[in-house]
Amino acid sequence: MKVIGFVCDWAVSTEALLDAQGRLLAHPSVHVVRIPCSGFMRPDWLEESLRAGADGTFVTGCPYGDCLNREGNYLMRDRVEQLARRLQRRRVDPARVAMFAHGLHDRQAFLEEVGAFLRRLESLPQPAAPAARPAVRAAAPEASE
Amino acid sequence: MYRRALTWLLRQTLKLDVSINRVYPTDWNPLYYTGGLSHFFLFVLVISGILLLFYYVASLDGAYASVRYLTEQVPYGFILRGIHRYAADGFIIAVLLHLFRNWFTDRYLFARDGPWISGMFLLILGGFIGINGYQMVWDQRAQAITEIFVAILQSIPLAGAALVRLFLGSEGISGAMLPRILFLHVGTASFLYMLLWWHYVRIRHPKIWPPATWVLALLGLVILLSALPGTRPTAGAAAQPGVPVTSYPLDVFFLLPFWLVSYLPPIVVGVGLTVLLLLGYVIPYLQREEEPQMGVRHAGIAQVIDGNCTGCELCYYDCPYDAIVMVPSPHPGLTKAAANRKLLAAVMDSRCVECGICIGACPFEALELPKFLEADLTRRIAEAIQAQPATA
Repeated sequence: MKVIGFVCDWAVSTEALLDAQGRLLAHPSVHVVRIPCSGFMRPDWLEESLRAGADGTFVTGCPYGDCLNREGNYLMRDRVEQLARRLQRRRVDPARVAMFAHGLHDRQAFLEEVGAFLRRLESLPQPAAPAARPAVRAAAPEASE
Repeated sequence: MYRRALTWLLRQTLKLDVSINRVYPTDWNPLYYTGGLSHFFLFVLVISGILLLFYYVASLDGAYASVRYLTEQVPYGFILRGIHRYAADGFIIAVLLHLFRNWFTDRYLFARDGPWISGMFLLILGGFIGINGYQMVWDQRAQAITEIFVAILQSIPLAGAALVRLFLGSEGISGAMLPRILFLHVGTASFLYMLLWWHYVRIRHPKIWPPATWVLALLGLVILLSALPGTRPTAGAAAQPGVPVTSYPLDVFFLLPFWLVSYLPPIVVGVGLTVLLLLGYVIPYLQREEEPQMGVRHAGIAQVIDGNCTGCELCYYDCPYDAIVMVPSPHPGLTKAAANRKLLAAVMDSRCVECGICIGACPFEALELPKFLEADLTRRIAEAIQAQPATA
């Protein structure tokens, strides 16, 4: 299991939650990448993470209504929804992408939601290789262990 | 010291948010709408103020009588007066909440100093209008306020006497004063809307109105306060210029400086207030973090990659600060995208807050943050994928 989490630098503070490689101590399968704002994420990059071998990926922004940059988290929520439709067309389970919103000190709630996301990923069926040339390659089986 | 204090305040502010969000859905958190609440109160003030204007007589003899007539003779007149009075308190509370919240949560960085500076002007003029409002009633309190205000003005070296003349219209309190105050009250309030234009000018979709629940609740509260016997506005004793005022009811939201004058000399209060307000203007230029510490928060002003821009306007619609303008595509262009587009996105440096929302909006890879490139992000994704699987 390998998950990449893109966390807004103004949202939940992960300093105390990470090990030296940038993995969450509580959920070592999650790698955290800090970004300037949740709205900075281009949905393509989420898709690219899945294509590169991640089992799931999520974006974390500030609580809705309280984005430091006013609208970044709402915009990202919409983009993740649109990405879900695009992923469906490409036979990728949109449940592998998620959007969270947690404030600077909501570490506990953040970890709980990440844990729930991991459990959701575990319950998903392994992606079947599509017959035709895949638009998005499914995660290689050895990478998913 | 300043930085540590601010960090502590940020922590407390967000803790407060978390506890409020346990009670309300986040969409209703009143602290997310402090600006909208201020605007709502200002709107109530303008409407009730226009109605009050129908009754008000701006003369030394007529002012107090007209207010008294409105309060005691006109049906529900005291409610009208109370709405104006309590909405003014609500306005100042909401404005101060707005100020402190945006200060403690760092919402003044980079290009966001424009709203901060215009906000300071709005705060000062708002307070000034409120004090004028108390003078217009021309009761004992109004007299006391006028005398103290004149004393503060008088204590300014050189310009003091001239300013007092300008404010009162003559050497002492005379019939020329109240028309001036009426103009200062109404004219400055109109000027607030010009400042609000400046306050909103770079903000796309400003939240200028709170959720309906809060509008109704606060309107109800204001009307309740103005109708209840204990809190409804009453006519005090009429002013008698020349006779010293011994005591008057104090409104802590507007008249705090006037209370201080009973303990300190007017020059100290005047200078202290001026210094405090001037410090307010400096706040956006005191950064909490050194440049190197800011990391991805200070990723540089977004840059358009000319060859990739198709002129699709997506970044233009998503930028929350109106920092992107679409200009006519200047030349035929070397790439296919550049040859076929009609418009080209351009970032206005003075408005960009380096958030990168336009980068997320652009499906054509035509925008980059100089210190956090797409290549940096894809490298981090690759590192995360290649990293040794965890022990779990």
